[in-house]
This record gives sequence, structure tokens and C-alpha cells, in this order.
Amino acid sequence: MKYSGASLALILSIFAALVLQLIPVSGDLIYWRPNFLLLLMIALIIFKSDQRSITFAASMGFLADLVFGSPLGLNILLFSLVGAVPLYFSGWLVYFTLAHRCLFVFLLVIFSELMSKLLFLIWLVPENYNYIFMVALASAVVWPLFDISLRRIRQ
Amino acid sequence: MGISKIFVKASFIARRLLFVVMISFGLMAVNSYTQWFKPINDVFENIILPIHWVANIPARVSRWSSFMVADSADLQMENARLAQENLIHRGQIQRMADLAAENLRLRLLLNATELFLDSVLVTEVIGVSPTPRRHTLVIDRGSQDGAYVGQPLLDAEGLMGQIISVYDNHSIALLITDSSHAIPIQVLRNGLRSIAEGTSDYNRLRLRFISSTADIRAGDSLVSSGLGERFPPGYPVGKVITVTQIPGANFVDVEVEPTAQIDRSKHLLLVFTLGDVGVPGSLQ
Repeated sequence: MKYSGASLALILSIFAALVLQLIPVSGDLIYWRPNFLLLLMIALIIFKSDQRSITFAASMGFLADLVFGSPLGLNILLFSLVGAVPLYFSGWLVYFTLAHRCLFVFLLVIFSELMSKLLFLIWLVPENYNYIFMVALASAVVWPLFDISLRRIRQ
Repeated sequence: MGISKIFVKASFIARRLLFVVMISFGLMAVNSYTQWFKPINDVFENIILPIHWVANIPARVSRWSSFMVADSADLQMENARLAQENLIHRGQIQRMADLAAENLRLRLLLNATELFLDSVLVTEVIGVSPTPRRHTLVIDRGSQDGAYVGQPLLDAEGLMGQIISVYDNHSIALLITDSSHAIPIQVLRNGLRSIAEGTSDYNRLRLRFISSTADIRAGDSLVSSGLGERFPPGYPVGKVITVTQIPGANFVDVEVEPTAQIDRSKHLLLVFTLGDVGVPGSLQ
């Protein structure tokens, strides 16, 4: 893929992730919505990792801070910490089966949610821990879509 | 592939990560103690509005298609039902007018100087918080419609929250269920005052510091007390579900279900209290 094509695909992917993130849902469905920006960032790091991956993760975190209305810096920290894990294992992860990558994403999302809860505790903001498992499960379920798309781009 | 190629060099990741972590903590510290980043947030809120519009397309298409495929007989039945409901509500409003006049007379007898006159402006939800952590809504009324920070927001059932950011054509409202929100309330039955805090759960509020000897029980209705002068008094907030006595604790744990349809209401009302009357488009 040419550089301009890759950039366009990246911009469209981010736009799609933003739209999915902002679709209004009611009731308990909101607890089942995965963090699409985080999943996109993980997928791009697994399949297109390079020396700028941490900077890319931090940029996605900056975008997430603006979209989620969270204190600026919070998601930069979170996305960078979460992004560092698949970056370290990126050489291995591409040889995992899809099911193993789903499990990896499941665990990574739990790690991410626990980290964010820990950071919110710094501000003494009470947090609801009930939905961590739901978000992680939903993320693992939708992961194959990201996996298949990004694997094709990589090939 | 050699083992060195399989793992990305850990020291390289650690160096980059350390740099980003330092920057993020710096940003969070600056964000906590200053308002320097507010202009960035304001600009981004206006940029993201078209994305909210795009994200709302499925809901709009769903409403439009359900309207298009609805049977005309069903529509006529619904119309008749709504007309009937309207008649009942108009009758109740007449009764309310009578009660309001009586209330006014009693207040005058008590030399009360505080007379309340609320008007409302209908608004529509155009976006919700993308994460369950933060309970916020984006509504289609902004400073051009007279909306202001701190303005109360209602749905047909009760208090929903208050506006926290106002832009030209839209605003962001914090819901009463957000964990950073608290509202002064009183028990309708006996006037017992307390504060209802959000819990990050759309169906739960929590009352804090209620003495174990306080007269409060499941089923009690809670209304806004008007203390703090942020929310007007008398609007329904919730209903007590459980009162749990914890052995050895000085206070009871009181759980409340919000009256408003926090995660379902689409059309809301912005409340203008006395002094805001005359805002274009507001209904009295």
C-alpha cells in the first residue's frame, strides 16, 4: 500500500472508531460498548508496529482525552502503557492464532480498565467496577473485525 | 527470525514510555490546577459536533423507518390516545393552577418573599458520553438559546442533571448519576434533608450521612430541596429503594432509584427560574 493510501486508511479507521464510540446507546448496552479507539490502537501496534508506535499510542490517547472529556493526559498515559505491551510482544503476536489474540485483547482491556480505575482513585473519584468484565468480553468479541482488517492491510 | 527480532528492544520502549508518562503526569497536573486547556477542549467540542451528527444517523433512520412502516390504523389509535392524555394533563394543570394560587396565598400569609416562577425550553439529546465512566449528554441548545452553566435539566419524570459547558449551538450536561455529582434533596413525606450522590450507575443514587435513627424508609419520594440555589425546589429526584443498617456504623446506607429516565429520555426540558423569563422559545 502506498504511503498516502495508508494514511487515508488510518484517518478513515479513526473516524469510524470515533463514530462507533459516539453512537448513542441506552440502558445497559453502554456497559457492553468496547473502547473502539483503544482496540484500533492495539490492532495497529500489533500489525504495523515501528519506532513511532508509542508516540502513535500517545496521540490516540490525546484524541481519546478530548472525545471522552477526561482530564488531559489521563488517556495519553493509559494508551501509552497499554500500547507498550503489544509493542513489546508484536513480533510474537502476529504468529498467534486469532483465538489467542482475542484472549490477549481480553486481558489487555482488563489491564487498561484497572489502570484507569487506579488513576481515577488518585482524584478520589468513586468508580463502578461492575462493568470491567463486560467491556473486556465485548472487546474480545469484536476483536476479529479489527484483526482481519489489519492483517489484510499488513499483507 | 532471530530472537532479537521477535521482541522489540525493551530499553527503547522503556525510554519512550518514560518520556510519555512524564508528559502525561505534567499535563494532568496542569489540567488539575489551571484552565489553560479549556480553549483546546472548546475548539474540539465544536469540531466533534458533526461526528455526533453522523453517529446519530442510525437512531434517526430507525425512528424514520418505524414511522414509515407504521400502520395508519396504529397511528390513528396512538393519536387518539395522545389526545386523551393531553386532555387529562390539561385538567391536571388546571388543578395545579388552583394549588399554585393557594400556595401563593399561604406564602404571602407567612410573609415568604421567595416566589418561584419556572419556564422551560424543550431540547433534544444529540449525543451521550462515549464511556460509562462519565455520565454526560450533549443537547442541541447553546448560548444562543439562553442556556447557561449550572442550568437544571428535566425530563418528563424528574430531574436529569445540570449544564456544565455551553457552546454556541449545543451544551454538555452532567447527569445526577455521575459519580462527581451531588444534589441537595428532601424527603417529600417529612422534609428530612440530605444529599443524593451519583454512583456511576444509571439506576442508582446514594444518600450520604443519614443517621440510623432518621425517619426514612423504602418507597419514600425525594424531591430537590433548593438548598445551594442550583436546582429549584420541589422537582422529583428519586425514590428510596433500600435502607440498610450496617452493624456498628453511625449512618445507614440508603439507595435511591432516580425518577428520571436517565439513560432513555430523548427530549428534555431546560429550566429557567425567575429572572431568566423571556428567553426566546421558552414556554411558561
